[in-house]
Formats: sequence, C-alpha cells, structure tokens
Amino acid sequence: MGRIGVDQPGRRMLLSGNEAIARGALEAGVQVCSGYPGNPASEVVEALLEVSRDFDLYVEWSTNEMVALEVAGAAAATGLRSLTAMKNLGVDVCSDFLMTVNLSGTKGGFVLVTGDDPAAHSTTTELDTRNYARMADVPLLEPSTPQEAKEMTKWAFELSEELGLICMVRSVTRLSHSRGVVELGVLSRERRKPEFTAPPPWTSGSSTFACMFHDMLHQKMKTASEKFETSPFNKYEGPEHPNLLLITSGPSYTYSAEAVELLGLQDSVGILKLGTTWPLPEELLFKHLRLAQEVLFVEEIDPFLEQNVKMLAAEFASRGLKPPKFYGKKSGHLPAVGELNTELVLRALSGLTGVSYSPRPSEYASRAEELVGGYVPGRSMAFCPGCPHRASFWVMKRALKWEGREAVVTGDIGCYSMGLLPTGFSVEQTLHCMGAGIGTACGFGKLERFGFDKPVVSVSGDSTFYHACIPALINAKWNSSNLLHVVLDNSTTGMTGHQPHPGSGITASGEPSPPIRVEELCKGIGVEVKVCDPFEVDEATKTFYEMLKERGPRVLVFRHPCPLTESEKKKRKPRVYVDQEKCIGEECGCMAFCSRVLGCPANIWDYSKGKAKIDEVLCTGCGLCAKLCPAGAIVVEEEK
Amino acid sequence: MGGPSELHSKVLSSGLCTGCGACTSICPYLNAVEGRAVILEFCGKEEGRCYTFCPRTEVDLQYLRERIFETGEGDPSLGFYSSVLKARAGREGIRKRAQYGGTVSSLLLYALKKGKVDSIILTGSPDGIYPEPRIAKTEEEVLSCTGSRYLLSPSVGEVVRLLRKGEGGRIAFVGTPCQVLALRKLQVYEREWEVSRIKLVIGLFCTWALSHKAGEFLMAKLRGRKVRKFDIPPPPANLFVAETENGRIEFPLEEIRSFIPPSCRICFDMTAELADLSVGMVEGEEGWNTVILRSAGGIEFFEEARREGEVETAPLEGERLEHLKEASLTKRKRSAEEREKLGASYLRGG
Repeated sequence: MGRIGVDQPGRRMLLSGNEAIARGALEAGVQVCSGYPGNPASEVVEALLEVSRDFDLYVEWSTNEMVALEVAGAAAATGLRSLTAMKNLGVDVCSDFLMTVNLSGTKGGFVLVTGDDPAAHSTTTELDTRNYARMADVPLLEPSTPQEAKEMTKWAFELSEELGLICMVRSVTRLSHSRGVVELGVLSRERRKPEFTAPPPWTSGSSTFACMFHDMLHQKMKTASEKFETSPFNKYEGPEHPNLLLITSGPSYTYSAEAVELLGLQDSVGILKLGTTWPLPEELLFKHLRLAQEVLFVEEIDPFLEQNVKMLAAEFASRGLKPPKFYGKKSGHLPAVGELNTELVLRALSGLTGVSYSPRPSEYASRAEELVGGYVPGRSMAFCPGCPHRASFWVMKRALKWEGREAVVTGDIGCYSMGLLPTGFSVEQTLHCMGAGIGTACGFGKLERFGFDKPVVSVSGDSTFYHACIPALINAKWNSSNLLHVVLDNSTTGMTGHQPHPGSGITASGEPSPPIRVEELCKGIGVEVKVCDPFEVDEATKTFYEMLKERGPRVLVFRHPCPLTESEKKKRKPRVYVDQEKCIGEECGCMAFCSRVLGCPANIWDYSKGKAKIDEVLCTGCGLCAKLCPAGAIVVEEEK
Repeated sequence: MGGPSELHSKVLSSGLCTGCGACTSICPYLNAVEGRAVILEFCGKEEGRCYTFCPRTEVDLQYLRERIFETGEGDPSLGFYSSVLKARAGREGIRKRAQYGGTVSSLLLYALKKGKVDSIILTGSPDGIYPEPRIAKTEEEVLSCTGSRYLLSPSVGEVVRLLRKGEGGRIAFVGTPCQVLALRKLQVYEREWEVSRIKLVIGLFCTWALSHKAGEFLMAKLRGRKVRKFDIPPPPANLFVAETENGRIEFPLEEIRSFIPPSCRICFDMTAELADLSVGMVEGEEGWNTVILRSAGGIEFFEEARREGEVETAPLEGERLEHLKEASLTKRKRSAEEREKLGASYLRGG
C-alpha cells in the first residue's frame, strides 16, 4: 500500500507537499480523484492511485484538465468528496467549466488543487492561478508547509461542502516537491452513496437565473470571508506595534520567518501569514494594517496580496486607517518574476530596516573554487540517451533542408518542446500551450493566398495529441489548411513521468483499455496519415519529405517507445562502441558529428585519442549514432 | 581552397552544383537530393574535401593533366589525347541493347571477365528517367545500365563510399565530364584513401544534362508509357525523342532546354578530357561510337580489348573529327561567356 495510507494517527512521517495533499484528501474521505499529468501537481494523483484499491477510490488520468474537472465535478454533484489536481496551465484549460461550476455549486466537497511553478522550472509561463480564484469567486487556500498542505486540503473539503462551492488549494513547486514532517490524522472510512436527484438542475443558469446564481455565489463568498476571519491558517507573529509588517502566504512565509530570525528583527518586524487568501479576511487585515507603519508583501509570482490588500486599505481609509507605506514587487523590493528564497527576503528586509546582513562569508567564493575547481561546465538541456525524438528531429531537419524553403515548424508541450533547442537541431520555432502547435499551424497554413510560400509543419506528442490537438486537426480538415502534423508517439506521457494515455492500452489504475490509435482517429476524420519509425532514418526522411510536398492537412506519426518506460528498461540492450581505428576524429567530413551535433549524452569524446567514444553506462543501444556515423565507426553488437 | 561555406556561396547558392555526389557521401552534413547537394549544417571547418573535390570549384587543369597524363599539354578543344577512332561492340547482342555502338559495355564486360576490376560504378534508372548510382559486379548488372541518362546522378558518391569503407576492390567508373572531373580531383588531391584502387575511368561525351525538375516534365510526356531510350538526333532535327514500348514520342528540343541547369551552362568540357578513355556517339552514323584514347593505361586496355575482339574499330573520318573539335570548342567558348556573366572567374580550366 502507498505510504500515504498508513493508518496510524499521530505518527509523524516525512511527506512531500503533494503527498500531504493526497493524505489530507484521504483523511477527508475523498472517493473520486482525477487529473492530467503536469509539473508540479502530478504526484497528488499518483499518491492517491497507489492507495486507490485499499480505499476503494476511483482515480483517473483524464485526457485533459477540462475533462478532469468535469469528472470530479460530477462525482461531487452526487455528494461524493472529489478532488482534481493539475498544473497552473491546466487551470487555463479547465477554466471554462470552472467559470460555470462555481455558479452551479456542489453537494459533496469539491477541491481543485493547483500547482503553480514560480521560475517556470517546467512550464512555459509563471501563471499565477490565484487570479482564477478571484475571477471565479471561489475560496482559495495557500499552504506553507507539508503539514499545512494536509490540514488545508482536509479542511477544503469541509468548507466546500458547507458552502456548496468548489474550493481551490494552491501549491507551488517548492512546496509540492519538498518533504517535511507531517503528523498524520485519522483516516476517513466513510463511503458515500452517490445520489443525483433532479430538480434542482445542476447548472449555472442563464439570463435571470445566471444572475440569481451569481448573487448566490456572492453570498457563499461572504460566508467564506466570515469563516476566514477566525481561521487558524491565518496567524500573526511579532510585536504588537511592528515597525514593519510582512504580509505573506505559501512557502514565502517560511522564507520570511527565517529572514526575520537571521536578522534578529523579531522585536520590530511582524509577520502576518495568510493561509486563506481569497476572499481575504478583511477585519484581520484591518486590525494589523492599523498597527503597522510599513508593510512588505512577500509572495510568489503575481502581486496578488499586494494589489488586493492595497485596495482594501483604500476602503479602510473611511474607517480611519492611515494607510501605511507599502513595499513589494511594485516598489522593486522583491523581484516581480521568479522564485523567492530567504536571501531575497533578507535583502529586502535589510534595505528597509538598515540592518546589514552578509548572506555569505567573505571567503565563500574562494573556498568554493578550492573545493569545486575553477571550472564547472554548463550543460544545455538535451533529450535523454536513446530518445526517439532525437531521431525524429534529425529526420525533420534533413527533410526540411532538402525541401529548401524555410518551413514554419510550430512546437507543442512535452519533452519535444526541446525541439527549439540545439538538442532538437532547433527545428521548432514556436512554443505556447497544449495544442497551440497545430492550432497556429492551421493559421499559417491558410496564408498562401497572401503570398506566404512556406511549408507548415506542426509537432505534438501522443498525449498532447489526445489532450488538445484533435479539434484543431478537425479544423484543418474542415478549412483545408495546408499543414503536416507530426505526432511524436513514444507511447507514453514522457515528460511528466510516464503516465498512461488513451493510446497506451491501460488506464491510470492499470485496467486494460483498447488503445485509441492516432492513425485511426485521423482516418476517422478523413485526414491522410502515415506511420513510421524515426530510427529508420532514411525511410522516415523520405516519407516526411514526400508528405511535406503534398497539400492539405496530413499527419505523420513517428512511433517508437520512450526508452525510459519500465517495459523498455527491462529489455536487454545491445552494446554499442566506437571502433577508434575507423573513427575519423578531427579529419574532414565529420568533426565530432556524434557528440557535437547529434548531441546524445552517451556520445562522448576521447580527448586522449582525439576520437569518439560511447559512454556505455548511459547508452541505451538505440543505434542512431551508428546509423549516422559517416565512417561507419560505431558498432552495434546485438545481444546473443 | 575552401570549406562548406565557400561551397555554399560559390557553388550551391548559384545553382552550379552538378549533383555528382563527391561531397555528399563524405559528410554527415551534406545530402544528395534530387540532383543537388544540400547542406544540413555547417561543420565549421575552413577547408574540406567537399570544396576540394567539387567539379565546380577551382580547377587547375594543367596540374591535373600532369598528374594523370604526365604532361600538361593538351589539344585546345579535346584536351590531351593520343588518337580518336570509331568503335563498336564485338558482340552483336551488346550492340542491340546499347544506346549507340555498345563500346562502353563491351569494355566493361571485358574488364570484369579478365579480372581487371571488381566493381564498376554506373548510372542506372528504375524508370528510365530518374537516375540512381549502381555498383555493377556482373555482366547482367552492367547491361542493366545501358543507355543514356539525361538527369544528374550522384555516382561519384559511390566511389567515395567504397574508398572510405575499404570495399569494392579495384574500381572502374563511367560518367559524364563533370563526374570524371570530380573523380580526378578526388584521385589527385586525396591523401588518406586508397585512390590507386580506381583503375579505369571512362568518360561520356556530354553537351548538357537536365535538372531533376525535368523528370516530372518527361513523366508527363510519357503518359505512363515505359521508355526504352531517350535520344537527341543530330541537327538540324532539333528534337528530343523518347522510344517507348508503344512507339516513339517526339517533341521540340527547346521544350527540354529550359531544364538545363546553370552548372551545365558553365561547363567547359564536352568530351570528359581527364578520362582514360572518352566515348560518345558518331554524329550521323548509327551503331558506332566515337572513342578518344587518352591515358597510357587506357590505351593499353583498349588495345587489349580490340585484340581479343571485344570491340571492333574503324578510323574516324577527318571531317567528323573536325566537327567534334568544333563542337567541343564551341562549348568551351560558351562556358567562358557564362562564367563571365556569373562573375565566376575563379572557375578556370579550358
């Protein structure tokens, strides 16, 4: 059984933020969970999957976040407690439903967990999903620690059920992926029976009804606000009359507390940590704003608290509040982009209080150089050894050069987003969000009448294809857009950790489910489709080249499994080595093609001999380099 | 000397690539595509074989002659040669399958029979239009390549591949003047590979070839009929002729001339003057070839084949020789004019 299912109330365990959220859901008696994989939220669903059998949960990976929220929403409408977890951009995808299910309400506790990614470690934007809570008018909780993540999630279900309204819990990468001590609570074994009885209809209404539901939503939020005034998730620490008040939420609270302590400012600086950040606890804020002369907002991504509290302060003026001086992102005391950390808060505090602090001992740099050495090589992002995408992009690069007109190649979200980088030979030229590759290609592919004479190619992975590309493909067919859509089918959702998808033949819980093939879907739509293996480089190049020259919508599937999937890892791999006698090294014609251009991490350079070499630990035996080596110096020794 | 960036700026970007394949099979950054070389990526080298071997970069004709014929001298129209004569296959069966007299096929078969060469690089075509390089090692493989090809083929690349891999044994090559030039540059300038394995180079007369785009045009003209032989009858016919299984198709030569690539317009060499032996048609006389005997090795080999009865010969009429020289000289003059227009004065030779 998964570690989050341990039935020992009071036991203290190390849990990641995501595991703690899942544990909180278990303690709340969650019965249905859904999601679409995406950093940093994937492990919430995965942790619940691990215990789904023991706790009789229904857990699914949905085709996209919209469907995921709808699946969970339906379960909640029947009275079950349900949860959906997704990354920041997933909220964009499901926002259509979010903006209506807020009005239609819920019967069972309905929780949306969002994983934001300050610094965009594994995302295309630093989108701050807290804005969605404000836009949709739904309660928002922001945990600071794994313990709080568990408690808040559990409470979010109760709150949601009490209000009859979906609740959001917002985590960030640093919380989701770091571990902390969590004291376990009592697991709920309650199993509800779903009931969906009409009337009333489950709808956001329209016209007068929509306004009526809108009004009801405001009432619910008023109740939420009242509850938040006394919530234990909001707390103040510091002197009664601080010179400087830090208003903070999420992990930024821990950076703030550490910074105040390091500077020894406990007697002059106070910290108001907010766990319930929408709607804001207005009276609590009034009380603390009145006692402070200066305020510094410490929060990640958008100045969400900063702007909303300033707005409240304007209102409070009529109640006699003399607005304090406000500092934060707008004043430039803290950066408006990227992640925060203790050092950044220290600098801001030091600047505002005049208390100096040297973050590192003066000899730090020289000591570091002594220990590490003067030169630490940089590493660019690269496809893994044996990745079929490397072959696919080389195939595309070749054929596009053959064709000669500089094609437009639109990219999409997945490992192959790196097609923009040298590891993908910089073949891709655009990158936005799930499905935008083929969607924008639909547009590029209609510009011929205005004199746009370039072939248009869009790229997506298999999971992304199911997630967001199908409506655009139908559009391309319907409006006869000239585009060649390439599906890099590695038979898994690679970038997020190999979750199954509709083409995998199994569901999230491992139940068999007949695979939905990309080519069958295309045929159904009436789009020309071909399938080839990118490791058959010459054949694949010819196929791509021929399809490139055709007109109308076309789909080419490059199919080869990701070598990191469990089943692929179990296969015995052939040994690959360089025959250094044959390797032409520095001689004309190659110039380290394998390690320099092809760029597989397993193709390395033997500096002592000036010849190529294979790192046999990294090599997966795919043989791509052997096929492309101009001297035929790379040998693939098949397992006997 | 230069590298890929000069190759790009001086040759590829001006459409001067002949698609011979000399550069494309050396290098992972160069591909042969539809009769031309394409650079996938610039390797960053300042000098390279791609530039050195290219028949459309600098040609030091005098030096090449010295290295191949041991003399820098040469006739202003035909280059260095010892004699010009008429020849045809000794075997009637070969004559029937051949474009003209079957001399080339006979010589190649003789070389194979006597064990003088192991691999012959030729140009075949699965559909009679689009060319493909072939390595022939048997009589049947040689005879499957008879007939003129009008589209450019990366045949020199096959020689490079064999040399590089150490395969193919002793090699014979048959090709157009540009291909022969590339092969000779390779042979003379290459330091690492065993170029002495190239034993026999037969050049084919050529006034011009066609770019790959002509393929679609010819396909359309054939309308699905299978072609046996393309030919250009001597002036003043001004026709392009396709003999098919269902009769003859003719159309004005002008229609096809628009597919002559710039690389042919600047070419100075009609008779493959760096070959061991050069072979072409005899204008106005069917069933015979004109043969130019050039290198000592080529002459010796040809004489042996004649003694064994593999080829029959006859003297070439003085008038015909004069005509050949005139045609060759005309090509040289036009080439000089075209090079002037292009500003490609670095392209010396002839």
